Amino acid sequence: MPEFKIQHITRYTYEGLVRDSANQIILYPITDVAQEVLKHDLTITGNPVVDTHIDYYGNQVGSFTYLEKHSRLVINSEVLVVTHPKELPADDIAADEQWQMLASVQFIVPYIDFLKPEYFESLPELITTIESERLQGETPYQTALRFAGYIYKNIKYLPGVTTVESTLDEVWKLKAGVCQDFAHLFIQILRLLKIPARYVSGYICPNHNGMRGEGATHAWAEVFIPNYGWIGIDPTNNCVANETHVRLAVGRNFSDCSPVKGVYKGNSGHMLEVKVSVEYKGLPSSEPENLIPTNQFIQTIESEPFTTNSYRRYQEIMLMQQQQQQQ
Amino acid sequence: MYKSAHFNDYNAIKGVWDEMYSENSTIRDHYQKVISYLSNESTDNLNKKEELARRLFMTQGITFTVYNSGEGIEKIFPFDIIPRIITAPEWKLVERGIKQRLTALNLFLKDVYHNQFIIKDGIVPIDVIYSCPHFLREMYKLDVPYDIYVHIAGIDLIRDEKGTFYVLEDNLRTPSGVSYMLENREITKRLFPDLLPQCNVRSVTEYPTILYKNLMALSPRRISNPTVVLLSPGIYNSAYFEHTTLARLMGVELVEGRDLVVNNHKVYMKTTTGLQQVDVIYRRVDDDFLDPLVFNPKSVLGVAGLMSAYRKGNVAIVNAIGNGVADDKAIYSYVPEMIKYYLNEEPILKNVPTYQLRNDDEREYTFANINTMVVKKTNESGGYGMLMGHAASEQEIDDYKKEILKEPRNFIAQPTISLSAAPCYLQGALQPRRIDLRPYALCGPDGIEIVPGGLTRVALKEGSLVVNSSQGGGSKDTWVLM
Repeated sequence: MPEFKIQHITRYTYEGLVRDSANQIILYPITDVAQEVLKHDLTITGNPVVDTHIDYYGNQVGSFTYLEKHSRLVINSEVLVVTHPKELPADDIAADEQWQMLASVQFIVPYIDFLKPEYFESLPELITTIESERLQGETPYQTALRFAGYIYKNIKYLPGVTTVESTLDEVWKLKAGVCQDFAHLFIQILRLLKIPARYVSGYICPNHNGMRGEGATHAWAEVFIPNYGWIGIDPTNNCVANETHVRLAVGRNFSDCSPVKGVYKGNSGHMLEVKVSVEYKGLPSSEPENLIPTNQFIQTIESEPFTTNSYRRYQEIMLMQQQQQQQ
Repeated sequence: MYKSAHFNDYNAIKGVWDEMYSENSTIRDHYQKVISYLSNESTDNLNKKEELARRLFMTQGITFTVYNSGEGIEKIFPFDIIPRIITAPEWKLVERGIKQRLTALNLFLKDVYHNQFIIKDGIVPIDVIYSCPHFLREMYKLDVPYDIYVHIAGIDLIRDEKGTFYVLEDNLRTPSGVSYMLENREITKRLFPDLLPQCNVRSVTEYPTILYKNLMALSPRRISNPTVVLLSPGIYNSAYFEHTTLARLMGVELVEGRDLVVNNHKVYMKTTTGLQQVDVIYRRVDDDFLDPLVFNPKSVLGVAGLMSAYRKGNVAIVNAIGNGVADDKAIYSYVPEMIKYYLNEEPILKNVPTYQLRNDDEREYTFANINTMVVKKTNESGGYGMLMGHAASEQEIDDYKKEILKEPRNFIAQPTISLSAAPCYLQGALQPRRIDLRPYALCGPDGIEIVPGGLTRVALKEGSLVVNSSQGGGSKDTWVLM
């Protein structure tokens, strides 16, 4: 029963003053048999009222606005979470039968949403790869683990080569990326194999020897296994996501789970910094408690500088968007 | 016969229902008065009236915009001076049919975003719904006032060669054109001041009043003067004229996204005296652009945070968000089943037979018979992206087929229906041209009301079957008789 204290800071710094900021946060750890939230403190610049609701996928989603002029916005989320290890699938039903069970849930909510692969340019190449890597006679669970291993071996973990907006095509051609890209590709492969797969956002809380994805928000996938349910598999670390993975949200893709997103008014660029630090106790560990005293901010994304004529750019956008078809 | 020559050589199109002429080439009763009135006018006089109509439209700025390679070209909507006339019994059928259809569609939207009984019972296939880009999971379990999703519907009707009415499509998102219904009537009043009362034509001018009453009734704040606004994409939109007209007729504020702001889950309008809370938004902005925080983040037309205000019930939005799942052309073919399922009634208005190209056998049938088919994209409107099999070249058909095979779910096919024809005054003579009909139904807490009339669109090109304004169509005043 490991207990984690996770601090997740998101900081937007604007070049000038901005206003009318509206934001959506999905920073509330899922509560179920495997995960308990003991405490959650949320501090946001300006102390806005955060309204929460449960979205289509069952996630708790918060939203708030901050109208006053400001040059920075900080969202500080501190949670105390206890996780319980989940038993792994027994996987003792014949493979054929399991595949049949998966076929029978194809057109059932919620699985239907987690079975739709997306189209991208290199799709035929990916399909060929899947065909040659796949072993006939393996169960869905074994197949999923096989492809998590395949991605782990063949995709380089290189922070900074991709952004949140990178497409599958870019990741596939680069053969490199970060956890989000690993999860994205993994989900695509599973869906092509007709195994329901969903995106998970959360935190990784390793007990020792650094795992990939520390210090930032992490992403992996959940795979639907017949007669068992959803199991988390982390292709970035080639492991089953169990008591060291804290889940924030599930969805079809990254944008369903995006931990923090916002819109503001003001003609200035912004810098986004995210820091996640974890303290834990209760895990057998060779290291002392209070690990990872990282203080530097990582996951910095800089927006494009405004080099174009903003007036003309505005006019073009207006012209383009306003011309939407009326029925 | 009539004195003036221009009424003698009207040649009804063979095999087509003519609104004016009956099978044995006599003028139908309900057109008698108008035709005898018009035949007493000289050609010169009628030409003058036609010219007057054109000038009135131009000076009043009654225009629409055709989008072409990124540029908007403003045009007047061609107007034909001869009214299209609908008898009382015909209207009664149309009215009952639309009310029935709209009732079922509202129930469908409530169901699909809540319990999904209709999916569980297998009436509408789940994959058609879940693959529809307008099925918005953000609307799941979100309660809308009075369970009304479609407050304003523009359901398109056509008539086949026997005069039977068919529904061609349901427009349940941002149906447009009602301002032309109102303006066409105003113009007719000026052209033929004595004709309307003589013919017992029912009035359509109540439309803005009913719409305003319904909008007021949706206000979440129970106050005597709620703030209602009309949210327009802006001046470059094809229907901007309509947005200004409706706002003026109802006496509500015409706003754009940048005039509104959300604070603490309430919507406010920026005014010279500070922020004023907004209760009801009649929006003419598409779902995808409505809230950049939740939908398209690049949108500059919407209001960030609007969805949270809507979810909390602090603002009413008309039409509701997510209605596109009900007027998707692939879902259209299940509407008769919906009517039976929800209302236990037989559909009053028929559907045009529709082939779902996502089904292999229906796609093969369509490809084999493409010359007699119209193929449409399921999520386009305004006559864009259509293939008229009988008029397309081999090359066009081949290209279109390739397009279909990429994503068959996004296409449907229908047999080419021979639309009914009505007389038009063109180049000094009466000539038959193909028409459709779009009545405007308003659904409020008191029920569904349809002003007796609508927009009759006419394919002005000889032989053409496409009535969309973007594709060279015009319009007529639409008379419903008492």
